[in-house]
Amino acid sequence: MKFNKNFDRSLWVFHLNTGSCNGCDIEIVALLTPRYDVERFGIKLVGSPKHADVLLVTGPVNRKMLPRLKLIYEQTPDPKAVIVVGTCGTSGGVFYDSYNIVGPVDKHIPVDVYVPGCPIRPEAIINGVLKAWLKLERVRSQSLEKTQKK
Amino acid sequence: MNIGLLETGSGSWNAIIWIVMVVVIGIVVLWVRSQGEEKYKKDTNQTKPFLSGNPEVSKEDSHVSASHIYWGFTEALKKYYKPLVTLHTGDLNDYSGWIVLVMAIILIIVGVS
Repeated sequence: MKFNKNFDRSLWVFHLNTGSCNGCDIEIVALLTPRYDVERFGIKLVGSPKHADVLLVTGPVNRKMLPRLKLIYEQTPDPKAVIVVGTCGTSGGVFYDSYNIVGPVDKHIPVDVYVPGCPIRPEAIINGVLKAWLKLERVRSQSLEKTQKK
Repeated sequence: MNIGLLETGSGSWNAIIWIVMVVVIGIVVLWVRSQGEEKYKKDTNQTKPFLSGNPEVSKEDSHVSASHIYWGFTEALKKYYKPLVTLHTGDLNDYSGWIVLVMAIILIIVGVS
């Protein structure tokens, strides 16, 4: 896998829990431990979507979190990628017919990468983030070409 | 000749150095500003503050009123303060009644002594 020169920044990720059981969230935390240590790739969790390139969403979307999910998606600067981590965010999972669930995530915001699993393995999340990375790289090189043409 | 130089016992100040520094700092500030995100969308939520996904509260609703400053005071003197609040009914007849009553007591005390 080779990244082009347009991608010269680290990938900053904002994690949003839209009603997860915390299983997926614990696996995300595991990514930051010395065993996986994603920060060595420049992948970093940030505290504000305004600083993020990627929105990492866990959990089925419950009613209370829906307006927050939409707002946070809007507040993430472009170009951005959305990764849904876990079965719940992908399809609703075991909560699919709950009275309180209005998900899955892609019903409300555009999703680029799905990482299914209950919970997912940390390696699978890294793989998902790399796929989002490639998408962002593609978008950035396209916008760079447009600017050069102008 | 030193133009704009002011020397005192505690130091010196030069107007030219000051102007040069303002220009240099201004250039640095403008450079830092130019490095910022320029692709943000105006008039959308991207320009609003991030409050954990919660909507921004209006200035009126987020204002801390002056009565909050006295919270500790009224809490500490609650036993004294609460009966006083109940006495203040806002009815002028009540207040006139209090004046008559207190004056009567005072006149009795003064008359007795």
